[in-house]
Amino acid sequence: MALTSVQSFRDVLGELLVEIGNEDQNVVVITADVGKSTRAAKFGEVFKDRYYNVGISEQHMITFAAGLAAIGAKSVVVAYAAFIMRAWEQIRNSVARMNLNVKIIATHSGYSNYADGSSHQMLEDIALMRVIPNMNVVVPADVHDLRRCLKKLVIETRGPVYIRIGRDYSPPITFGIEYDCELGKAYLLRDGHDIAIMGSGVVLYEALQAAEELKKMGISVAVVNVLSVKPIDRETILNVAKKTGRVVTVEEHMVFGGVGSAIAEVLAQEYPVPMRILGSTTFGRSAKSHQELLEYFNLDKKAIVKAVLEVISHGNR
Amino acid sequence: MVKGDAKPILKISDLINLEEDIKAINKLIKNSYEDVLLMYKHDKHVHLNSSLSCLPILAVLISKYIRRSENDIDRDWLILSKGHAAPALYAILAEVGVIPKSELPKINRIDSILQNHTDISTPSIDFSSGSLGQGISFAIGVATWIKRMGGKGRVFVIMGDGEQDEGQVWEAITHAASLKLNNLVVIVDWNNTQLDGVTNEIKPKHYIPLIWKIIGWKVLWASGRDIVSMIMAFDEILESDKPTVIFVQTSDVRKLLEAIASHGAH
Repeated sequence: MALTSVQSFRDVLGELLVEIGNEDQNVVVITADVGKSTRAAKFGEVFKDRYYNVGISEQHMITFAAGLAAIGAKSVVVAYAAFIMRAWEQIRNSVARMNLNVKIIATHSGYSNYADGSSHQMLEDIALMRVIPNMNVVVPADVHDLRRCLKKLVIETRGPVYIRIGRDYSPPITFGIEYDCELGKAYLLRDGHDIAIMGSGVVLYEALQAAEELKKMGISVAVVNVLSVKPIDRETILNVAKKTGRVVTVEEHMVFGGVGSAIAEVLAQEYPVPMRILGSTTFGRSAKSHQELLEYFNLDKKAIVKAVLEVISHGNR
Repeated sequence: MVKGDAKPILKISDLINLEEDIKAINKLIKNSYEDVLLMYKHDKHVHLNSSLSCLPILAVLISKYIRRSENDIDRDWLILSKGHAAPALYAILAEVGVIPKSELPKINRIDSILQNHTDISTPSIDFSSGSLGQGISFAIGVATWIKRMGGKGRVFVIMGDGEQDEGQVWEAITHAASLKLNNLVVIVDWNNTQLDGVTNEIKPKHYIPLIWKIIGWKVLWASGRDIVSMIMAFDEILESDKPTVIFVQTSDVRKLLEAIASHGAH
């Protein structure tokens, strides 16, 4: 299978967890009856004595992981983003306040769980995690980002990190681009000088396609992968904004408090430029594919091209 | 006295030491009672009644059972899940020399090392508490790791009776039972009081010990007014093959405290 084809986030996650378990005996994986559907169970098949399926008990799952971390384990929690949010207060009070080594891998985020509908489609989690002191937030754009990040975050990074991925759909976004995953870093996927599209997650695939379309219209578009949403890479965001003078942000998340908000917090205070924030404004719904939902909720290539053209025409006024 | 599954297991040597132990524990209770009242005098935000109800439990545990070690898997852990009783813990830690007594009147001052709910920034505190139902889950994580690493440490958790309302307690105790964590001991401070009033008026709780028992915990009872009953219960847990919970009836602990205070420790 070509590395440039569409791959599955959770299948790669399962493989990586086993690799990480082999490398570090202190890594434990905790899940809440979603071991099979997140592929966390792959870890359990190999490391039976450090895989904990706590049953359908998300609040306990988080605090249990905190206890393990407090005495020396490197805790990795794997569950659906939507139901991890049920334990928001546990994440705040028992993980973040004690700054413990708990890595929370939130799968099935955004619209990736296309069939299960609004209850399962988590579009508020970046905002909810970003607001907590000590918490770090990483959003891999594709499986290649996940490969770059996961081992380093689990084994070497101290403190809590929220790692947000989708269920399956991972189109190629960062393959062939050389960088190491670093907390606090954003990465330029494509250079340009008229406008920048900045964002996180699989919608960057739509952003890259939009940039191609716009090139045909004579518009030069930079695309930035905001891999680390918190801490955010002020330097890269400011440098790109200074070069392009206009920014469109895109995310598979509410436009309130998410990646666009984080970028706006930087730009509004240090270098205001004309800006549009693309994202969700309401709950999701069941559909036949992830891509169908991106189109329906105006997060596809077409919607991005439209937003870019609007910002460019406003900027000229 | 101890009820439930308890069997008297005191050895002759224990009986000889018992009188000395009780004398020392009474003295610790007397002094720490005065410390808690002092903290309350300096800050009325101190949760006085919740602190006093578990004071004898903490005195027995810390003076007689909690073992220290440099190694986290070989020492005992103490998780104050009902974190609002922090002043009781601070008082005893001050009496046994872990924190300076001069810190006690400063509780809740902006520059104090003593927070109104326990915080890991304070020396020897294992868990940042304040939100109910979480200490038990945290303790299960610690106890699980100790067992996996073959450590000798045990994990003691102090919970409230009102705290039993939290859904997370169900999630946690069913998991602990399935893990057969015989190094985990929960003590429930059964003081019949929660924030809005009498526990049973807010939500009945008489069935709660039965639930713990039926899902696989060893269940013991003791009286917070009776030091011997607590010693017997704590001695018994050391021989359990499953997690143990001790429900300590504490609604009339004030009487013990007042008696000790007025007669002095003999």
